[in-house]
Amino acid sequence: MSDKQQHSAPGPAIAIENLQHRYEEKAVLHGLNLDVHSGEIYALLGGNGAGKSTTLAALLGFIAPSAGSVRVCGIDPVTEPRRARAQLAYVPENVSLYEHLTARENISYFLALADAGQGTDRRTDQSTDRIEPALQAVGLAADAWDKPLAGFSKGMRQKTAIALALARDVPVLLLDEPTSGLDPRAVLEFNQLLDTARERKVAVLMVTHDLVSAVDIADRIGFLAEGRIEEEQQASAQSVRFDLNALHDRYTHPGAAA
Amino acid sequence: MTGATLIAREEWRALLRNRAGLVATALLVLLVLVASFTSLERHSSIEADRAHYQATVDHAFDQQPDRHPHRMVHYGQFVFRPIAPLAFFDSGVDSFTGNIIFLEGHRQNSANFAEARQSSLLLRFGQLTPAFVLQTLAPLLLIFLGFASVARERERGTLRLMLAHGINGRELLLGKLLGHAAIALAVGLPAFIVLLGFALAGAAAWPETLLMLGGYSAWLLLWVLLSVSASALVQRPRDALAVLVGLWMVVVILLPRVLPEVAAARISLDTKIETEIVLHRELAAIGDSHDPEDPYFNEFREKVLAEYGVESIEELPVQYAGLVGIEGERLTSAIYAEAASRSAARESAQNRFVHAFSALSPLLAIRQLSMTLAGSDAGAHSDFLQQAEDFRYRFVQQLNRMQAELLPGISGEDPRISATYWQDIPRFDYQALDPLRRQEDILWPFVVLVGWIGGLLTIAAFAAQRLERIAK
Repeated sequence: MSDKQQHSAPGPAIAIENLQHRYEEKAVLHGLNLDVHSGEIYALLGGNGAGKSTTLAALLGFIAPSAGSVRVCGIDPVTEPRRARAQLAYVPENVSLYEHLTARENISYFLALADAGQGTDRRTDQSTDRIEPALQAVGLAADAWDKPLAGFSKGMRQKTAIALALARDVPVLLLDEPTSGLDPRAVLEFNQLLDTARERKVAVLMVTHDLVSAVDIADRIGFLAEGRIEEEQQASAQSVRFDLNALHDRYTHPGAAA
Repeated sequence: MTGATLIAREEWRALLRNRAGLVATALLVLLVLVASFTSLERHSSIEADRAHYQATVDHAFDQQPDRHPHRMVHYGQFVFRPIAPLAFFDSGVDSFTGNIIFLEGHRQNSANFAEARQSSLLLRFGQLTPAFVLQTLAPLLLIFLGFASVARERERGTLRLMLAHGINGRELLLGKLLGHAAIALAVGLPAFIVLLGFALAGAAAWPETLLMLGGYSAWLLLWVLLSVSASALVQRPRDALAVLVGLWMVVVILLPRVLPEVAAARISLDTKIETEIVLHRELAAIGDSHDPEDPYFNEFREKVLAEYGVESIEELPVQYAGLVGIEGERLTSAIYAEAASRSAARESAQNRFVHAFSALSPLLAIRQLSMTLAGSDAGAHSDFLQQAEDFRYRFVQQLNRMQAELLPGISGEDPRISATYWQDIPRFDYQALDPLRRQEDILWPFVVLVGWIGGLLTIAAFAAQRLERIAK
């Protein structure tokens, strides 16, 4: 069996229906509906407190929603967190890897954890087979592969985290503010990586504040406000995929275009 | 490889790359080794000294010339307490209690020459023994290595990433516990190897050695559980450190000193002067064998005359003074025994009080277990005193009987009996208390340690469940 896991269930790879969640007395998600298909990049934009992180937490199975349903490749992450997590790779906003380990060791360790989480035990060389192509794919210089992360820039850490996600070779990719703190060149390289993911039929959900990056790479953009998608735009097939000015007005004046 | 073993292995890798942690661990291991070897050296030296001095005083006793037996009663005998084999591992109260007793007629002397009183001031702060290092310093190292084990994962975000990779809270905590338990084993290993080597060489009994290993393993495991659970329950590593150091101060420093003080305040022992005053009064009340009007000894004399069927002391086939010596020794020893029994009952009540509260401070439990198995606790010392007193009584009464039975056949103003009689008097042969027969002193500490481990496992299970909720 190939290492590559494909989302073969019918329907979207990520399916969120009427999702509601409260933190104590405060409603954070108010009937959120969202789906992301294989080979699609969905950018979820929203201000602070709009519910972006809660949406990711629900997909990761870290919270049990008050109402509604969440499915990752048809699996409920609340009732079957281990199976659901086996289908997705997650890149947090602040790349949280081990400073004392090298890029290669970090990826190897988390791949081994993921394999253990799924009850499989791959050999080290098989992990190596997955690690080096992933590190090459993210464009991390080969001489940095075996250096501790303590000496890495934010961009290099981000690349390591994305290499880990690519090495997982899973059908769903969750990205939390992936371009935060990256310089324009690094953002460009990152977008190229997402293009590769799209070609591999990976469903990508990208939570971001970065409108420009979202416009450059996303197939759909959803505006999250007060716990629900207020507006969603689809990229056109034309050369100008989104009207950036209109989107900027919409982003900075929520509710005006609704 | 399971998630837990992967995490455990990663803890080891992190320790090996953490220079400060590695240095601290190496220092403690070195300290355990130094403590083991210096303690063994001191143990051998004390053992040789005591054997040498015992042989010297025994020889001097044997070389006494022909004498009146009562002079030998006052010449007396010195007895030295043999040091228990495992006392090198835990010297317990040995350094603070006297180890030599002068045994003579008419009185019980206390043991003298405690090591701490003969040595420099440094010894009074506690000897550097493997037990001291494992009981006091090893928990601090385990706290230092474990306080951030889970809290740091949460703080830097790797906890969330691990959970996102399919590891659950239970596996994560189990991995951390396995990793740190292995570190604890490495810390204790040098001492354990010395103990096992001692048993393999036949110098210590296997049951005591294995129980000692089990007790200390439980003690170290307890601190691993405490460190990792606290780290999993609090938000930040520094909070875990503060909680754990506070617990260490209470459990290892405060309670073991406060509880005996409370016990002493609740159940007071008489001071030495008070005891001597009481004894003096009771001894004076016995009567005076030299007073012809003394009612007790008048009655005693009549009883002896009746027993032998004679009218006067001069007609007795035995020396009356020897019989009075036997009776006097019986009476005075009974008074001393009664006083010792009262004192022992109070000490026992104090110990029971402290034992009961050892549930609060497992250090008290491991200390009691360790000292009991090493034969260096207060119970073993009391047993030595009791055996020495029993021997003293037999020794003095044997001389009194010699006086009563042998002197009537010897004429002259200064009657003496042959020196060969001294050589036939049995010597003190101390039979060390078998720790395995002191079930309460072994079982209760294990109950306390296992109880703590059970409670901490329950807390760890609760902390594991909370981890995923905290991750959001």
